[in-house]
Amino acid sequence: MESGVVINKINFQKVLKYIFSMLLLCSNLLFTETSNPNKTWYGDPDLQGIWTNATLTTLERPKHFKALEVNEEEARSAANKASADSFAYDNQYLEGESPKAGKDVGGYNTAWMEPGAELFQLFGKYRTSIIAYPKNGKVPWDREKANKFFQQRRKDRSKRRDHPELRGVGERCVVGFGSSGGPPMMNVLYNNHYQIVQSPGYVMIMAEMVHDARVIRLDGKHPPENITPWLGDSIGHWEGNTLVVETTNFNPQHTFRGGLRHFFAITSGAIVTERFTRISKDQILYRFYVDDPDIYSQVWAGEMPLRSVEDKIYEYACHEGNYSMANILAGAREEEKRR
Amino acid sequence: MKKIFYLLIFLTITVSDVVAEESDLPNGPLGKPDLNGVWQVLNSANFNLEAHAASASLAMVEGPVVPVPHPSTVLFGAVGSVPAGLGVVEGGTIPYKKRALKQRDENKKNWLDRDPEIKCYLPGVPRATYMHLPFQIFHSEKAIFFAYEYAGAVRNIYLDDPGPAPVDSWMGQSWGYWEGNTLVVEVSGFNDQTWFDRSGNFHSDQLKVTERYTLINQHIMNYEATIEDEKIFTRPWKINMNLYKRVGKDAQLQQFKCVEFVEELIYGKWRGD
Repeated sequence: MESGVVINKINFQKVLKYIFSMLLLCSNLLFTETSNPNKTWYGDPDLQGIWTNATLTTLERPKHFKALEVNEEEARSAANKASADSFAYDNQYLEGESPKAGKDVGGYNTAWMEPGAELFQLFGKYRTSIIAYPKNGKVPWDREKANKFFQQRRKDRSKRRDHPELRGVGERCVVGFGSSGGPPMMNVLYNNHYQIVQSPGYVMIMAEMVHDARVIRLDGKHPPENITPWLGDSIGHWEGNTLVVETTNFNPQHTFRGGLRHFFAITSGAIVTERFTRISKDQILYRFYVDDPDIYSQVWAGEMPLRSVEDKIYEYACHEGNYSMANILAGAREEEKRR
Repeated sequence: MKKIFYLLIFLTITVSDVVAEESDLPNGPLGKPDLNGVWQVLNSANFNLEAHAASASLAMVEGPVVPVPHPSTVLFGAVGSVPAGLGVVEGGTIPYKKRALKQRDENKKNWLDRDPEIKCYLPGVPRATYMHLPFQIFHSEKAIFFAYEYAGAVRNIYLDDPGPAPVDSWMGQSWGYWEGNTLVVEVSGFNDQTWFDRSGNFHSDQLKVTERYTLINQHIMNYEATIEDEKIFTRPWKINMNLYKRVGKDAQLQQFKCVEFVEELIYGKWRGD
């Protein structure tokens, strides 16, 4: 009986804390969610189409920006700098010249990259970070817990030429790089497209990278704890014209969510809440809240637009042509033999 | 007068029967039958499209008395055996060209090394339809999208003619349109890497598949696929089978991302200490 009371107390406190942080977040996010009357054939708000989250805006706010919003001139200057950097990256060697032995040979030419060329705008204002809360635009790590996690990660990474399981999930072709499939869904180096299709009781979001179809069950229930799908388990409901999606049961192998321009983690005990609101014909307001006390000191939240595009999404077959994994491991064994 | 009365009764019954039959089909978007749901076959087509007897293993080798399972499969015992099937190919046999038939038999003999399913590669079409795992159709007024449980494969069915496929792919390019109550999907732009089943039945990159999805009632959908590939077959041929709709708790697509399941098979030989 006594332990039951304690459990109730803890839950109650947790619930209060959660409600409080949600209220705080809602008051902190800059704009209210507006509505668009488009409906599906069975009457749900319509989010369907092909969307992209490609943007120059990063998850965290770079040091040189002082506020969440900047004016057009600053936004243009950021875009120009990115374009100049990209040109410099592509032209670091003269024609016929090659990197010196031991130097980084690079990966892709920028022609293969499509990370987004401009800071995104929300409601007519340019944004300097996806994170809207906390206000400093930084991921609020719990230092101690994060250090422990990253220590283990460094240890694992020292063996990453030995075992496929110790390489990144993107390199393994299990899911996309850097939380591309989410949740939260994050813009990465390329293939930043999503297709949303709705049917009665479901919203399906297919992330281009690794053709990950996340089937969100409306008014569903999460499965038992031992079922931990890649991309977690997502259930949703409508609040007015906003689709609210709650994801739990995260896969413990998909904790690290680093990309070229962002760096965060979602542990297996996290609750990620996403809110999708169609704010115009061409835009969905995408908001997310990360509640993950196993690695963060507080709940944090981000928002960005998903922009409608006319493009077609082609097949992202990854595992089928994953020669790199074989070459990395076989190369390491060959190197050991020659030592 | 009496005759007219009976005729009226007859007509009423007939008309109401026809109406009842039509209204049995659940209504979907734009006045078409509703294809939404989690669907699955109840057959052994993925083992072999052609008629086949039950056997101990897909990989059999010569034994002292009768063929026995290949040493690599013998530990699976009854779990690794093959259920019988009457076949789903119209006319019974796939019309291979002579050389292609030889290739099929060789594929079958080397099943363990060659079947793309063993390596968790994308299944292609029509194989995705009759795998041992279900798939979900998302059918709306704007899109028709198939999500397969096996390997997390997907297909977006273009509803406007997309023209020739820009590149070859594992799942091909799908263009769908309605012929009455039947969804017809023309699939082309395939690579030559996928198979039709676990028995070595194969195709080239010239493959074109025309699928016909016809709802019979709210629980059953007929699936027909016409297979054309001039490099491999002497003529177009068809497969035909039923798809069954999962209901209640069973109607939830699970995740079968087998990429991680085959890492040991594909990369295990290069592990470090």
